[in-house]
Amino acid sequence: MSRVMIVDDDEDFATAAATVLKSLGHDVGVHLEARGALEVLEKAKPDLVILDVMFPEDSAAGFEIARGIRERRDTIGSVPVLLLTAVNAKFPLGFGAKDLSNDFLPADDFLEKPVDMTVLCQRASALLAK
Amino acid sequence: MATTESPALCTYELPLTAADAPPGPRVRLRGLLPAPLLVKNELWFCRLRWIAIGILLVFAAAGHAPGLFARLGLRASPLWPFVSAGVLTIANVAFLIHARLLDRSPSPSRGVAVNLWGQIVIDLLVLTVVVHFIGSVETCVPFVYLFHIVLACIFFSLRQSAIVAILACVLYVGCVAGEVTGLIPPAGMYGDSLLRLQIEHAPTTLAANVATALAIWTGGWYLVSKLSGMVRERDHRLAEANQRMELAQAEKARHMLRTTHELKAPFAAIHANTQILLGNYCGELPPEAHHVLERIARRCARLSMEIQEMLQLSNLKSDTEKAQLRFATLDVSQVLRQCIGQLKPVAQERRISIEEALEHAEAYVVPDHAMMLFANLLSNAIHYSHEGGQVHVRCYARPSGEAAAQVADHGIGIPGDKLPHIFDEYYRTDEAARHNRESTGLGLAIVRHVAQTHGLHVRVDSRPGDGTTFTVTFPPCSCSEAIQTEAYHESSDDR
Repeated sequence: MSRVMIVDDDEDFATAAATVLKSLGHDVGVHLEARGALEVLEKAKPDLVILDVMFPEDSAAGFEIARGIRERRDTIGSVPVLLLTAVNAKFPLGFGAKDLSNDFLPADDFLEKPVDMTVLCQRASALLAK
Repeated sequence: MATTESPALCTYELPLTAADAPPGPRVRLRGLLPAPLLVKNELWFCRLRWIAIGILLVFAAAGHAPGLFARLGLRASPLWPFVSAGVLTIANVAFLIHARLLDRSPSPSRGVAVNLWGQIVIDLLVLTVVVHFIGSVETCVPFVYLFHIVLACIFFSLRQSAIVAILACVLYVGCVAGEVTGLIPPAGMYGDSLLRLQIEHAPTTLAANVATALAIWTGGWYLVSKLSGMVRERDHRLAEANQRMELAQAEKARHMLRTTHELKAPFAAIHANTQILLGNYCGELPPEAHHVLERIARRCARLSMEIQEMLQLSNLKSDTEKAQLRFATLDVSQVLRQCIGQLKPVAQERRISIEEALEHAEAYVVPDHAMMLFANLLSNAIHYSHEGGQVHVRCYARPSGEAAAQVADHGIGIPGDKLPHIFDEYYRTDEAARHNRESTGLGLAIVRHVAQTHGLHVRVDSRPGDGTTFTVTFPPCSCSEAIQTEAYHESSDDR
């Protein structure tokens, strides 16, 4: 059993994703705000973080959280991060898998919303198996 | 008794929108041009100064040639050109080193003015020496001051160029006055000093000559500084307009990003929850309910894709977007590889294999637009193929240098009479609608807009029941640049 944390302001989506991941036997926690997310993650010490990019007050809060995770080398710095976004590389200011990098976008994988739950489970399992 | 402090009153006034805001104060132009440009000009001045030094050295050498000056009616005076050239050389080396250091400096603004003023002052001083020795009143050499005044008008503000003009006038008048009063020993390069003596002994003529020179310099300063100020103000306004356009474009991109998110996020939540029900996470559903949920999920996915494509299309149609296109030379095979990577999961779901034959082929396009174009063509090829089918993607450079790409499927094909309509917005053939109910009818409209913006040639070969091949040919890079300029002018005219 692994511990998965979902950080997403969309409660409906986060709860649905949590339900599916729990059915795989994972212990899943949900945090609905960007504010305080890093502290919650440090406390929870998850094995995987599923992170939304856009939050109501900051369109790029997810990026900041992802960078914050990597900066906390002693605690959660090595936890894999799966980014979720409703916008993809086809949009100006959007991004894609090619943009993932340790400096700019320190995430391990990304999925575009609407997310197929089967795909979400596959990606989560792959990252947890690393 | 403990008192509880009430929170401080916070006030906020809604600012006027940019359109309603009163016009700001007229922008006062700063004296100097941007520092990096000035450094480049300083380096250019140093290069020009080598020519002046060369002329002085040639003049000095000619003075040593036996009898040459005498034959020309000139007085040989080989020392001052050497000294002037030496002073200018030392100063020029110093200015050059300083300018190169400024050129490499991340914040050169401080030293730029020092270098520029240093060059002007040294030039004017040396020029005054040259004017004195060549002839301050009997030759046209004093008009060389005008070059410095004109350059100052171009690079400095009105006030600063006026200082240069005044400095030139003061140095020249000082030189003439010194010579006339005997403070400076008389000089001049003409062997026959009669002309000079005649001018010096006719105070009215001398004053008239000097006054004419000063009037010409002052007039030149006024005209050039005025024109230069007008050009600079126009440049400034253009730069401001450009900055406003860039800000508007960034704002538009942000708005689109937020709109996309706000529209897609609810569908993502609905989609996720329908999957919870469909996956029987909340218990087994009756078959009829399962069927209804599947329909909800499908419509949801389609609406989500439609929103995305509508926004992309509106972005492509926007004038501002056209004017702000950022073209780049890129390898079409790389773009196709990225698109294939993006759409591979969709193809795998439909058990469709993608055969690649990608050669290096360069095109001058907007990278995002190229991605949109090929993603739509490839997505269509996957969706209109039969399950278990094959899609072929190839790209190559034609012998003439043009890049070409092909996306071919063995799917349902398109009847010939319907081909002219497939690029229309929301148009779908009956066969296509039957085969793929989730299509939005916007994918090929996006392809058309990208093709028109870039001047791409798109050819469709199709046989119903046998498949469709889309061939995209990119114009050679030089033509693409011309089309880009045309697109810019078109959008400017529209406004």
